[in-house]
Amino acid sequence: MKPLATVIVGAGQAGLAMSRELSGRGVDHLILERGAVANSWRTERWDSLTLLTPNWANGLPGAPYEGAEPDGFMPVSELVERFEAYASTIDAPIQDDTTVTNVVRTGSNYRLYTNHGPVLCETLVLATGACNRPKVPAIRSAVPPGLFQTTPLAYRRPSDLPYGGVLIVGASASGVQLAREIHSSGRPVTLAVGNHTRLPRSYRGRDIEWWLNATGLHDVTFDEIDDLDRARQTPSGQLIGSHEKVDLNGLQDLGIEVVGRLADIRDGQALFSGGLANAIASADLKMNRLLNSIDEWIVAQGLETEMPAPEVFVQTRVPTVPRLMRSLTDGTIRTVVWATGYSPDFSWLDLPVFDRRGRLRHYGGVVDAPGLYVMGLPFMRRRKSQQILGAGDDAADLAGHLVSKLDRRHAA
Amino acid sequence: MRVQTETATANNGVNVEALLDARAAITTMPEAGQFTWRARCEWIDGVQSRSTIEGFFGLGEQQMRKSVHSIDADHPEQFAATDAGPTPVEIVLSGLASCLTAGVASVAQNRGIQLRKVKATVEGDMDLAGILGVDADVRNGFSAIRVTFDIDADATRDEIAALVAQSQKRSAVFDIITNPTNVHVAVA
Repeated sequence: MKPLATVIVGAGQAGLAMSRELSGRGVDHLILERGAVANSWRTERWDSLTLLTPNWANGLPGAPYEGAEPDGFMPVSELVERFEAYASTIDAPIQDDTTVTNVVRTGSNYRLYTNHGPVLCETLVLATGACNRPKVPAIRSAVPPGLFQTTPLAYRRPSDLPYGGVLIVGASASGVQLAREIHSSGRPVTLAVGNHTRLPRSYRGRDIEWWLNATGLHDVTFDEIDDLDRARQTPSGQLIGSHEKVDLNGLQDLGIEVVGRLADIRDGQALFSGGLANAIASADLKMNRLLNSIDEWIVAQGLETEMPAPEVFVQTRVPTVPRLMRSLTDGTIRTVVWATGYSPDFSWLDLPVFDRRGRLRHYGGVVDAPGLYVMGLPFMRRRKSQQILGAGDDAADLAGHLVSKLDRRHAA
Repeated sequence: MRVQTETATANNGVNVEALLDARAAITTMPEAGQFTWRARCEWIDGVQSRSTIEGFFGLGEQQMRKSVHSIDADHPEQFAATDAGPTPVEIVLSGLASCLTAGVASVAQNRGIQLRKVKATVEGDMDLAGILGVDADVRNGFSAIRVTFDIDADATRDEIAALVAQSQKRSAVFDIITNPTNVHVAVA
C-alpha cells in the first residue's frame, strides 16, 4: 500500500482549515471523519445551544461570515450547515463514517486502523477536538445511588432531568449556561463555583470577542507566555450566545444558589469549599485587569474619543453566609451535573507521545513524533487555537511545517 | 498587546529564585515534592501541653533543622486554666495569618512589588455550645473566620488586592481550613 502524504482525523473547523491549506499546497490527503462534517457539533451539544462567539467570528479561511446578522449568535444547526457548505466549496476529501481505532508507527509511516480497513500515511494531523470526553472528578463515585448524573456532553434539554433540585458542579461556560436553562425550567439549581473566568458580553459598545481579537490577545502565541500550562487550563469565560446575563450576579438574580467549589462528598453530604469569597474576588480582579488593558489599548490607538466611556461592572455578590454542605440524601437534590471540563481523547494513538500525566507532548501543535500534528487544543499554538476563528492561522503554520517535512523526506 | 512580566526590583527578603528552582525540580522529580510535616506534643498538666517541631520528611529523606522549635498551648484563666500559652484554636488562626502573610511576601517579591508593612488581624467566631456538648447542632469549630490585611506597599489598591487573592489561592493553611482534610487518630 502506498502511503498518502497526509491523513487528517476529524472534519471539524480544524480539519477543514487544514484540508484547505494542504489542497492549496498540492498535498494529497484524506480526511477521516467518524460521522459526518462537524460531527461533534451535531451530536454532542445540547438542544438550545447557540455559539457563544458572535457570527462574524465563526467564519472559516476564505469563507468569512457574510450573513445578515454579524453580531448575532447562531444556533448549532446553522454552524453545521455552514461547515457542510464549506467542505463542499473547498472540495474537502472527506471519508465519512470512518472511525480510527488505532494508530501505530510502521517504518517511516503511520498505519491507521479503521472500520473500513487500514490507511497508511506519511504525516498525520489530529483534528478531533479538545472536548471528546467529560472530565469528571473521582468523587462522582460517592454520589448516592438514586441521583441522576450527567455531563454537558450527554445533556440535551431540561426535561431529560428528573423534577427537583439540581447540583451543577462547575461555573465556566457550560456550567453557567446549563444553570440558567435548568433553573428556568423549574428545577432549583445550586451551583458549585471554584476557579472561574468572569467576562462581560460587551464592553464600551463592542462584544468582548471583538476586543480579544482587536487587541491581539487572541493572537498571543504559546512561546510568548510565561506559564503555558496555567494558560492552557484557564477556565472558559462565563459567556452565553445571547444577551442573557450568566455571570454569578445574573444567576443569583434568578434565584440560583452559589456555593464554593465541591470539595468532597462524605456520608451523602456534598461539602463545599469555604474559599468562595476569594474565588469570586479573584475573578472580578482578573476581569477588571483585562478591561483596564482594553482601556489602555484604546488610548494607545488614539481611539479614546471615538469609543463610549469605560464601564465599571458591579462587583460579584458573595452570599452572606455561603453554604458549606448540602445533603444528597434528603431528596432536595435529584441530579448532579458535572460541568467540570473536557479532555481530548487520544486513547487510539498507540505512540510514545504522552507525558507522565497522559497529555500529548507537543510544541505549538508539532507533536513529539515525526510528521505528527495536533490542532484545536486550548492555547495549543495561540490563545485562540480552540476557537473556530483560531483554526485558520494554526492550519497555515502547521501546514508549512508539514510540507517542509514531506519535502525533506522525498528529497532524501 | 503583550503581557509584560515585572522586572522591577523589590526586596522583601524572599528568595524567589529558590522557590522557582524548587518548582522546576518538583516538575521533573515529583517524588522530591512529597513532604511530611511533623510535630510532637507532650501533656504538661491540666489543659497545658508543649509541641516541639524539629524534623520533617522531604526531598526524598528525613530532614533536620538547626534548632528545635516549641509552642506551648493552654487555655486562659476564664476557662479555669493557667494561661501558659495560647489556645490551640488561636494557634490555628495565627497559622492562617502567617501562611497568608508569607504568601503575600512571596507573591510581592515575584511581582516586583516592594512591601513596607503587612499586618493581618484574624478573628474566628465560635459558639462554645459546640465544644461543651450543649447543642448537637452547633459545630465545635469556627462558624466564620475573618482576616483583615493592612498593607503598605509600592502598588495600587488593585495590585495589593491581587497579592492577597493570589496568596489565598496558594496557601496551605487556607486550603486546610476551607476544604475537608482526612485526619486519622490512632493509639500506638
